[in-house]
Amino acid sequence: MTMIGFLILFPLVVAVILLAVRNNAARNVVVVAASLVIGLGSIWLVAVGLNGASPVYFEFSSPIVDGACTIVGIVVAITVICFGVKYKNYLAVVLAVIQLVGSLVFELNFAHGIEVSTPLYYDQLTLLMVFIIGIIGSAICVYALGYMEDFQAHEPEGALDRRPTFFALMFVFLSAMYVIVFSDHMTWLFTGWEVTTLCSFLLIAYTRTEEAIRNAFRQIVMNLLGGISFLIGLFACVLTMGTLSLSEFLLIGQVWPTVAVFAVTAFAFAGITKAAQMPFHTWLLGAMVAPTPTSALLHSSTMVKAGVFLLVKLAPVLALCPVPGGMLMFVGAVTFLVCSCLAITQSNAKRVLAYSTIANLGLITACAGVGTPEAVWAATFLILFHAIAKSLLFLCVGTAEHHIGSRDIEDMDLLFDRMPSLARFMILGIMCMFIAPFGMLISKWATLQSFTEVGNLALVLLLAFGSAATFMFWAKWMGKLSGIAGQSKNVELSVHTSEWIPIMLMAVLIGLGCVGLPLISINLVEPYLYSTFGELSFPISFDNLIISGVAVVLIIIVLFAGLGHSTARKVDVYLAGVSVDNNNRTFKNSLSGVTEATARNWYMKDWLGERRLDMFGTIACGAFIVILYVVAAFAAAGLF
Amino acid sequence: MQILITVVGCILFAVLAPVVGCLLAGLDRKISARMQGRVGPPLLQPYYDVRKLLEKDHVAVNSSEGVYIAFALVFAILAGGIFFTGGNLLMCIFVITLSSLLFIVAAYSSRSPYAEVGAERETMQVMAYEPMVLLMAVAFFLVTGSFNVSSAFDQQVPVFTSIWLVFLGFLFILTIKLRKSPFDLSYSHHAHQELVKGITTEMSGPTLAKVEIMHWCESVLFLGWVGMFFIWGNPISIVVAIVVALVAFFLEIWIDNNFARVKWQALMTSAWVVALVAGGVNIGILMYL
Amino acid sequence: MAFASKSPWVIHYDASSCNGCDIEVLAALCPGYDVERFGIINTGNPKHADIFLVTGSVNERNIDVVKEIYDQMVEPKIVVACGICACTGGIFHDCYNVIGGVDKAIPVDVYAPGCAVRPEAIIDAVVQAIGILDEKSKALAAARKGA
Repeated sequence: MTMIGFLILFPLVVAVILLAVRNNAARNVVVVAASLVIGLGSIWLVAVGLNGASPVYFEFSSPIVDGACTIVGIVVAITVICFGVKYKNYLAVVLAVIQLVGSLVFELNFAHGIEVSTPLYYDQLTLLMVFIIGIIGSAICVYALGYMEDFQAHEPEGALDRRPTFFALMFVFLSAMYVIVFSDHMTWLFTGWEVTTLCSFLLIAYTRTEEAIRNAFRQIVMNLLGGISFLIGLFACVLTMGTLSLSEFLLIGQVWPTVAVFAVTAFAFAGITKAAQMPFHTWLLGAMVAPTPTSALLHSSTMVKAGVFLLVKLAPVLALCPVPGGMLMFVGAVTFLVCSCLAITQSNAKRVLAYSTIANLGLITACAGVGTPEAVWAATFLILFHAIAKSLLFLCVGTAEHHIGSRDIEDMDLLFDRMPSLARFMILGIMCMFIAPFGMLISKWATLQSFTEVGNLALVLLLAFGSAATFMFWAKWMGKLSGIAGQSKNVELSVHTSEWIPIMLMAVLIGLGCVGLPLISINLVEPYLYSTFGELSFPISFDNLIISGVAVVLIIIVLFAGLGHSTARKVDVYLAGVSVDNNNRTFKNSLSGVTEATARNWYMKDWLGERRLDMFGTIACGAFIVILYVVAAFAAAGLF
Repeated sequence: MQILITVVGCILFAVLAPVVGCLLAGLDRKISARMQGRVGPPLLQPYYDVRKLLEKDHVAVNSSEGVYIAFALVFAILAGGIFFTGGNLLMCIFVITLSSLLFIVAAYSSRSPYAEVGAERETMQVMAYEPMVLLMAVAFFLVTGSFNVSSAFDQQVPVFTSIWLVFLGFLFILTIKLRKSPFDLSYSHHAHQELVKGITTEMSGPTLAKVEIMHWCESVLFLGWVGMFFIWGNPISIVVAIVVALVAFFLEIWIDNNFARVKWQALMTSAWVVALVAGGVNIGILMYL
Repeated sequence: MAFASKSPWVIHYDASSCNGCDIEVLAALCPGYDVERFGIINTGNPKHADIFLVTGSVNERNIDVVKEIYDQMVEPKIVVACGICACTGGIFHDCYNVIGGVDKAIPVDVYAPGCAVRPEAIIDAVVQAIGILDEKSKALAAARKGA
């Protein structure tokens, strides 16, 4: 209990301190110390939680906290309204006003009489999220120190140094995430939800360029829609069940799914917007304008993970409610396929990462929609490994960008020469995302198995084709990185230590996570499934996990120790006998001039039809969501 | 226990698969020659080729290529070991995909224009055949109730009887996996093409020998997948499976000699359409009827 | 025993031939002569090839190409000059740009004269080359053991 309070409040205190600190050295000390404290605190809590019984509910009653939640909600809405008025985005203003009025009505007229005796809790899923937020989230904050120093140096002379706000927001973000994962009181959860929305809005708008502002507003509009849907869900909860406790809601929902169906649909919609599923995927793509640590934070440990966290929590009810369950399955699986295909057409590394994030979140969403223990097993591991691998990739891309001056994959040619260590870390991250025996693919394997077992043809097909597309875009990126010419200048010597440490930490986590997957499954995921569903699930046999673990160790050894050690005599590449300089791939052309042989990756734009695909995904998912939402509303109305 | 069996299986596969694969490759060249009205090389020609390659000087364009290839071979053997000991079919598929990836990255790492084009086409080919391979595993699961290959022996009738459509789809992409014309875009066994030697352009001597051995192992594994469709709870079925696998291999040789290479768009579209129709219809029937 | 003689892979390069010899080289690979009986394959890639078949004379423009292809072949390797132009420059020997036979650029192991060179002559030359290839292969193996 104290630890939970500490994890929520400590980042807030740090944020306030960081707002005041203007000195670089002092900020470095504060951020590193705070990250260490948060990381160790999280580990401690996970250790305690694993040893004791879970889930643990904490009885606690404080009108102050309730009041604080209301005030925070109002502050969030007013901030959005102010920004909306300032930048003349009236849609955001209208939505914020609706939400403000809605939440005030809710607080004053409906929620007032309802007490939640155990507003705070943790179970194994929470512990997993605490681990992700505490370790990955704070590691990204440390990474941001070095990155933002370079970022500021790249800014034009005399540009305003907004770093204090930036770091403060990062820590507020962590705090809000802790609120989301610890709250059993849904109003508190909602407050954390809204704070993450606002924080990411401010972080996306960080540079204050026209593009940044536009994308930030796109984010806020979409997430306010989700927020309003969340609020509608809260209304439905109170009206139909008279409870605001998430655990009670889930219990009631499992017994009388028909009663819960509308509220679950509303929450599912909120989760879809936050997890950037089609048709709301554009906000996450737009969020790319922000500095890379922001993207890393949004994609790996916070924000989108809040969305899928809620969906996975709802899974036991979703398994019984065909309407919201079907909505999540359809939207998630279509998003997975479409966004995987769209990722093939992109050359901007951050956009590829963004599409891959959306695709993987789609998979998690679909798993939550299926809602069987096996699917939830898969979803949990997808969340974990995606968080680690994606943060590693974002950190690597961010560092590469500052040293090679581009985030285009085509410009990452020869990175294996130019930044040998970084390229290896990036390759490790990429492999973890898409190839066996690494964690993501083991999770996908469980996903395929659970989709097959529930007998859903569409999900199986979408997953099979989507996985194939996934192979294409990761493999070609990896190929680009792996090129060796042997003559390039090493440019990674100037990478900050504060960037290396988080990158190495993520790499170590990948190794440990993949090798220790059976242990995580037994100690964390299985108990959660047992306490939630009352049954155990081992989608993948222990033997296969052992084989995978051995293979992972093998690959990591090859990657970091094996490559580059060969006794073969070095020769030049074949250039049809007319080479000029083999290392630069130049040859003598038919006019005796010098031409460079260049090769770009495949993007298959014509074959895939980028705009057609995007439009298909947006319209199909959008229409599906609207129809099922309406169906759920009618179903709810029919109850009365 | 299962792990021990897998380890022993891998060792046996590492010894036997190259022998069988080598004979198959020799047979392939012999039959192809006869189809073209020639006598053709001796049956053991692929063996001589590899022995010669091992005798050649050890050179490479960089110090990583050979390492990638060595591990591509290791994982191909692991996949074979998993499959032939009745292990998990999906695991086998994922490990052989890992092997293909290392092969692709080896070619990319050379940064030779020809090898790079070959690697890109190979990547595209993996994308083309992967859905059908996954759907094959799903269909197998739906019939036998397990992803374990050994469960085929628990059946009263071969799985082929209920998933023959998937089998036909798999035969289609087998042409891609065995790198036979018309789908030999990334690397052709025949000389005189725009790609020089595609994905293997920069691999020479002992490295190329490893690639050849890897191809032998892959051929044996893929024909094992073909045979898997015809296994049921009767030892006789092993003979049936071997016969069918050989017929399928002969069919692939016939296709190889009778069709001209297609463009990549045709390959992608046809492979995905076949996977969607053959896999989708058959799995749909298994799930809903 | 050296296996080089059992699987000699060739690469064929047309230096500045009139195409007469080139057609004969390809004819040797066709069903009529079917040199694949001896494991001979036309690879088109110097890195895979053991025997370098050159047709035509070497001139100012292509001498570097001949040298580079030869350099990129992996030891042990053999060069066969196919046709009189490749052997000596032939009818073009006194052209303004012609340097001479292939031996002006790289060491030639077997000369197969003729205009155009007959497939039988090519096969004879290659068989002779195989013998030399075997010796070189053994020498390489011995050197490797010694080192």
